Amino acid sequence: MGVINFIIDNILTQASVTVALIAMLGLILQKKSVGQTISGSLKTLLGFMVLSAGSAIIVGSLVYFGDIFTEGFNMQGIIPSIEAINGQAMNELGLGRDIALTFLAIFVFNILIARFTRWKYIFLTGQAILWMATMTTVFGYFAGLRGIALILVGGFIGGVFAVAMPAIAQPFVRKITGMNEIALGHFCTIGYVFEAGVAKVFGEKGEKKKSVEDLKLPPQFEFLQDTYLSLMVVMVPLFIVTAAFAGPEFGATLSGGTNYLMFAFLQSIQFVVGVYVLLAGVRLLLGEIVPAFRGIAMRLVPNAIPALDCPVLFPYSPNAVIVGFITTTIGSIIAMFFLPVFGWAMILPGVLTNFFAGGTAGIFGNAVGGRRGAIIGGIFHGFFITLLPALLVTIFNSMGFVNATATDVDTVAAALLYAWIIGPLMKAF
Amino acid sequence: MFGFGKKKEKKPQQSPDMAGTENEMSEERKAELLHTISAKQAEIAQKAGEEQAAVQEELGLALYELGKDDDAIAAFEASLQNKKSIGPGYKTLLKLYNQKRAEAAKSNDESLLQLYMQKMDGMMQISKDVTRGLK
Repeated sequence: MGVINFIIDNILTQASVTVALIAMLGLILQKKSVGQTISGSLKTLLGFMVLSAGSAIIVGSLVYFGDIFTEGFNMQGIIPSIEAINGQAMNELGLGRDIALTFLAIFVFNILIARFTRWKYIFLTGQAILWMATMTTVFGYFAGLRGIALILVGGFIGGVFAVAMPAIAQPFVRKITGMNEIALGHFCTIGYVFEAGVAKVFGEKGEKKKSVEDLKLPPQFEFLQDTYLSLMVVMVPLFIVTAAFAGPEFGATLSGGTNYLMFAFLQSIQFVVGVYVLLAGVRLLLGEIVPAFRGIAMRLVPNAIPALDCPVLFPYSPNAVIVGFITTTIGSIIAMFFLPVFGWAMILPGVLTNFFAGGTAGIFGNAVGGRRGAIIGGIFHGFFITLLPALLVTIFNSMGFVNATATDVDTVAAALLYAWIIGPLMKAF
Repeated sequence: MFGFGKKKEKKPQQSPDMAGTENEMSEERKAELLHTISAKQAEIAQKAGEEQAAVQEELGLALYELGKDDDAIAAFEASLQNKKSIGPGYKTLLKLYNQKRAEAAKSNDESLLQLYMQKMDGMMQISKDVTRGLK
């Protein structure tokens, strides 16, 4: 009894160890060799710890940014970063174990739904499932769910999203790619369908429809070639301009002996370093679990339609990706200034989301409404994907999250499902 | 509501570069393709870099149309190794990988299944890289 209590009190309370034990169980069930099982479990443990270290770096930088933004602009400035939300939820809020178990539960529900219904989509973007598990766990916790209920409800909702989002996108994907064998597995799909809807209303129709693929556009955006470089291009000016508005006197209270603008510059780099470390941790953490899941899923659902990450669509409409990125960025900048007028926090544009989600949305807009559809739809899309995360800011603040909000709109929709429907229903009964 | 049932009613349209092996092929077209293949194979040896990649892609497309999927995969892979691109060769290769993945799943071949899943991941990376302007 003493041993069991020791295990429960001292080992299973450590999220990193629990997550490693889950990976170990998975590897044993797959009949991997002893060496593979040990190395896989240790890599998972390492991944979790690296992720935690990245989160600590991000939080330090975000606390600083929050202070200077409030001083400089007299309002809250929120950085949209699902990585920051995941890191804080895993560590500062102590939800790491629940998120890991929900992550597995989403896989299981995805397989069950695909196996026993006519929607054969298997969601293969592991990182996106981790973000979904983060949001269902955080908002399930906020709604009052605990323990096994938190994990099962999160797993079910995440599993439904993992099938429903590719299914909703598939009519468009068929139109874009001309085939039905591959689907889109990216949790920004509600935004894509929203852009398609706007493009349908405002876009060109019939013979008048002109594709953006007929335009001559610059072939590349050099600063986007590297994920971290593109983050720096946005973060460095953002931190320095904000510090300048906060002023040297306030800046000096935070920067110690360092010049306040230099300190802001270094803090902006710290944010990028934090994202770098956190994502390295995510890769280690998922490196063992995701291939195992894929193997199991594909064998249990042999006629599965694999739902792949958004770059699957880029080759079919590369110009639309660029138009989508530019127009979504315009829309998100409009929303950045528009939302505070109505008392919302200022949501700063996220360059990576604008590129990947904006680019893919551009393909949807172009497919439905041609050039005009892609341009007008993209601006609306940028506004939409800024508005939705803004709706979560109050809840994130009340839970102790620091100056960040989620990005991928499907995960935001799942969170709103908890906040607006499941939570009130639980309180009513 | 979202057109879920449409796939049963409507046959998916095929883009011209996806024109596959299902349609019966005339003897004339076969002969034409065989001629193209031997010409391209000879041409590859005389070219290098980007030009070679383009010929390898054309060779892959001809082999694919002829129904020689494994040879087509080898040609497309060689082309992408020479130069990353997201043209018709890329799209056909992704489709072929997915077919191989489905066959491996049906035959319960775990290692082959993982191999093609990894290859599909690699294709996503190529698409990201090319779209972002990486060579």
